[in-house]
Amino acid sequence: MDRRSFLKASGAGLATTLMGTGMLSWTPRSEAATISKTYYINDGTRAMPDGVSVYFKSYGDSATALSLPATPIICQEGDTLSITVINRLLKTHNFVIGGLKAGDPPLASTGNIASGATGTINLAIPSGAAGSYMFYDNVTGYNRFLGLHGGLAIMPSGSSTTLYSGSPTFKKQLFWIFNDIDPALNNAVQLNGTIPTTFTPRYFTINGLSSRPPGASGFGDPTIDAMADPRSKLSGSIGDRTLLRILNTGMCSHSVHTHANHMEWLTNNGVVRSSVWKKDSLYLRNNLGKIDSIYPFSPPPDAYPAVTTGHFPMHLHDEMSQTAGGGLYQFGSMTEIEFI
Amino acid sequence: MSGMGQACYVYPGAPATPALVTADISFSRGIYMNGSMLMDDGKSVTIWGFTDLAAAPGTMAGGNNGMGGSFPSPAIRVTEGQIVHTSLTVGNMWMHTIHHHGIEPSTENDGVGHFSYDIYNGTYTYQWKASSAGTYFYHCHVNTPLHAEMGMYGGLIIDPKPLSTDPVGTKRAFSNGPIYDVEAIWACDEIDPALHTLAWNAGTCGGDVGLNNFHPKYFIITGVDGASSALTNPGVAVNMKLGQTALVRYICAGFFPQKITFGGLTASVVASDGRPLPAAWSTTSIEASSAERYDCIIKPTTTGTYTVTVQFLHWITGAVLGTAKTRINVT
Ligand SMILES: [Cu+2]
Ligand SMILES: [Cu+2]
Repeated sequence: MDRRSFLKASGAGLATTLMGTGMLSWTPRSEAATISKTYYINDGTRAMPDGVSVYFKSYGDSATALSLPATPIICQEGDTLSITVINRLLKTHNFVIGGLKAGDPPLASTGNIASGATGTINLAIPSGAAGSYMFYDNVTGYNRFLGLHGGLAIMPSGSSTTLYSGSPTFKKQLFWIFNDIDPALNNAVQLNGTIPTTFTPRYFTINGLSSRPPGASGFGDPTIDAMADPRSKLSGSIGDRTLLRILNTGMCSHSVHTHANHMEWLTNNGVVRSSVWKKDSLYLRNNLGKIDSIYPFSPPPDAYPAVTTGHFPMHLHDEMSQTAGGGLYQFGSMTEIEFI
Repeated sequence: MSGMGQACYVYPGAPATPALVTADISFSRGIYMNGSMLMDDGKSVTIWGFTDLAAAPGTMAGGNNGMGGSFPSPAIRVTEGQIVHTSLTVGNMWMHTIHHHGIEPSTENDGVGHFSYDIYNGTYTYQWKASSAGTYFYHCHVNTPLHAEMGMYGGLIIDPKPLSTDPVGTKRAFSNGPIYDVEAIWACDEIDPALHTLAWNAGTCGGDVGLNNFHPKYFIITGVDGASSALTNPGVAVNMKLGQTALVRYICAGFFPQKITFGGLTASVVASDGRPLPAAWSTTSIEASSAERYDCIIKPTTTGTYTVTVQFLHWITGAVLGTAKTRINVT
């Protein structure tokens, strides 16, 4: 179905149906709780937009389900995180929650988990830990590129609207987790071959998916098309300020570009910025780069006549990332921003 | 679509603009696909871009007899509050759009084909309102890894409304913003000549045409080779008197990250991406990613020649792939 006629016809209705299944939902508690989650380190293959099958590893939700990225965890300061990680693969792996700021020690780690073994994390989350975290495997420098990564959101105690105590407020939140895929690396791991020392990524994903343009196979399918994936797609009405917890698990630095609104840039690599800049393009570093920003869902300021609805892209502006297999523009790391 | 070759996932159209009104200022753009840029090493690279149809009346735009044009494409300069028309005329050989980067108009006027239309065999008028003074740029949003790389971009400046209390001719970066005497627009870009041989629709139907595999060999500032020409090119190098204030509008117009260093001078960064900063940021260098803009106030305190460098950094390794240079000459 053509995206544009689809959007004109019934886009809002479908989006409403999907809403809430992808956004991080959060209700603050006055009491601390224990948040339990089990991940299965597993592997499998995924078809890329050009049909090429690529091998991945993941922190799966089940023994066999490839979860790219891992299902995120959201909790609040004071909670206890109880994470179980079962390694179903032949190689040793681990599960490390990186520190909030670059250079911080890890928040927690399972240590090495041998093949068939189980690792655990039991962590009482201290106050002041609120923020966006990345968890990943660092047994090798490249394991996180293979898909062993995910996001952890720690909310300030008692708050559902702030990133950190006193931050600008939001109504909704989600993770945008970017990855870059060089199948030569994935193949080498799958086949126990020599690990390449240089990388040329050919596929680019947001929350594990690439975009599809109208007319393409998989277009509009939230399990295939990153534009339609409720984990990634921004869908809101005026005032639906949405916190973007942006993580770079991949090998490339990127430029995160939103249409229709500037973002409010709150943090860079876990550090709260001294003042909030309004940016349409944000420099997301590689090597575990992180950004928190708020997409304000204000009326697009330069529309004439004024509008409150519309459809726009968020895409990476380093345009190589908008391709798949060396071509196929619009099959890369992009999602939709829908004003409803 | 006869004659244009097969293209996939394009959305041709050139409809009437919804709710078209009389504009305060209008620009008329065509396109050229056969331009070239002479590099300092003596080699030429094919360049595509936008033409100014108003400046060249009678020029047939859009492909059938496309002709060379300026690089970067002619700037769009408007005043805050104006309703702007940018019309784009494209023939029947290819498709293009204009996305006014950082300008945030309605869906139909945003220049993103899969949400509106890739302009084809006709004219579309982008209608938008210039709400925030500052530095922007415009570029094609069709097969962007190729079309932007080929040079399909130009500067877009929104000047603030003059203040009634300012002497006539006073130039400010934004409303009530800093006053400047001299202006530079540095759109810094890297060119991979291997991509400059491709057709407009390369890779759109699939197949590996190398759009992920970027190996820039030339590093340019506002259409001038930064190897040596930009050091002295009068459109790039800044000549100013001691006591004057320069506004450098730095645009990261390439795809890879960049680091600009002002030759030992300190810049007061007053705005970014078309928005004033809450507080000016003093710095001797800026590392930027694709499409970021930084408005830099520079007020040298001693005469001299300051060599500005722009390093282009590999997106994975961070290695410096090349350096473009220009100068700020203070007399
Ligand atoms: Cu174009
Ligand atoms: Cu852009």
